[in-house]
Amino acid sequence: MNRSKEDLLQSLSRSVVEMEEKEITETAREYIDAGYPAFDGIMDGLADGMKKVSDLFDEEEYFVTDVLLCSDAMYAGLDVLKPHLEQDKDVSCRKKAVIGVVEGDTHDIGKNLVRIMLETGGFEMYDLGRDVPSDKFIDKVKETGADLLCMSTLMTTTMTGMKDVIDKLKADGIRDKVKVMIGGSPISQKYADKIGADGYSANAVEAVQLAKKLTEGNGHGER
Amino acid sequence: MISGSMNSCGETAAFFGPAVSVFLRRSIMDRIADFECTYDNAAGVSREIMESLDLTYPDAFFHAADIVKIAEAVRKKEGTAFCELPFDHVLEAESMGGIVKYGDGMTGPLAKEYLASDMKELLELPEIDFTRGRMKEVLSACGEIRRRGEQVVLDVCGPFTILNFLIDTTQVFKSLRKEPKLFAELSGKIGVQLLRYIKEAEKQGVQMISYADSVGSVKILGPKLAAQAVEDFTFCFVKQMLEQKRADTLILLCPKTTFALLGTGKAALEDYRLPGPMTYGEGCIAAIGKIDMAGQQCIKNIHYTLKDGVLKQVVLKSQSRG
Repeated sequence: MNRSKEDLLQSLSRSVVEMEEKEITETAREYIDAGYPAFDGIMDGLADGMKKVSDLFDEEEYFVTDVLLCSDAMYAGLDVLKPHLEQDKDVSCRKKAVIGVVEGDTHDIGKNLVRIMLETGGFEMYDLGRDVPSDKFIDKVKETGADLLCMSTLMTTTMTGMKDVIDKLKADGIRDKVKVMIGGSPISQKYADKIGADGYSANAVEAVQLAKKLTEGNGHGER
Repeated sequence: MISGSMNSCGETAAFFGPAVSVFLRRSIMDRIADFECTYDNAAGVSREIMESLDLTYPDAFFHAADIVKIAEAVRKKEGTAFCELPFDHVLEAESMGGIVKYGDGMTGPLAKEYLASDMKELLELPEIDFTRGRMKEVLSACGEIRRRGEQVVLDVCGPFTILNFLIDTTQVFKSLRKEPKLFAELSGKIGVQLLRYIKEAEKQGVQMISYADSVGSVKILGPKLAAQAVEDFTFCFVKQMLEQKRADTLILLCPKTTFALLGTGKAALEDYRLPGPMTYGEGCIAAIGKIDMAGQQCIKNIHYTLKDGVLKQVVLKSQSRG
């Protein structure tokens, strides 16, 4: 008996939460074969599951390793659904975000978590990795026309790299085209204010809320 | 290639049978506390110190004599009772084949790129060669500092931290969840190298070995995997460190590791009375040869004072089966 759309969406969501890569692939295929829209499958199935994962993380029921495995399941589902997306939904309205760990720092666990959370929050992510030189952030913002730039560091010795990037955005005349949010163990709202960042987030869950708030109504400007 | 493995340690909980084992594991899971770390962020050496010694980076990091000068300058500047080596957390990974970028010195050496994309590849890591490279120079510097009559703390990183420089950490965390035997095998092989490293340091007269693995803390792994990491690696490793160490070597655990052992019921704290109030560092030095292991505070917390003159020693529980 064919499952209803609602059943399949719930199954997709549950498979993300339960980290079931194999099951999610089969469910996503069944969903597409039944003729349901891929966009709904992503938003009401996969993203819904990651929202629950995010809540569980916030409640300290899930931890970094759990989120990584849940995101693996989500990406497995996405691999099946995404090729069918462009036929039924224009996704050009997604906000773009560049993310990376500043130069001199290789601690990227938190950054990876924020990337996953933002991706599931609907952002199109450009991950530059760790130990990223200032110029590379600027180049990627220009190249992608990003709405948001996210930087993190765990070390006090590399915090100043964030200010360098913001100063370079100003020097290149694009500071007002992109919102900048920062995070990491030694970072605070006070530091964000001091260097002229638009926001600071203490954790990956808050980062999504902050990113959405910062980019509300911030369309892609021509550069 | 790294060979050998640490002795196997059975799961204490399994002794009681599957159902009780699950209950026990769940009950201990909730008890691993986290230690808020603000000290491991310090890496590298300040430009001010390098300039005052007329040394250049990274050249100075490759010469034992220069390493000694830097370590003593840092000790004098911070007013600590001991020198601390190495100046970075990459040394072990670099000595196992990790690709390192020295940068401009502001942060010290960093991992340049990952050595492997698959955890299985890391089973083929080379053994540490203590007779060459930065590893040799750091050990020689330890020896020179000891010959001058000063104490030196050798900071040894655990497998999570080392692997973080060799492979995307995501792969490490996934393997811990999905392929625990592979993780146990690999961390065991790394453990063997660390035990060799500690022996080499003791040959140089080092009496204080600090052990930390902050990447594998409960805050990152969560209570369940943190407990698993203790079962699969930490307990065995610490036990073997204690078994092989010299009588006058003091093991200094990072409090995150101490809490993991306490929270899983593998260790307990016992009071060791010092002559009087003193800093944690001074207390540890005073306890050399008297106790085997401390770990109530981070050794980098140089202002922490034992006001009541009591140092907490960490004692592995005898009922933990190894």
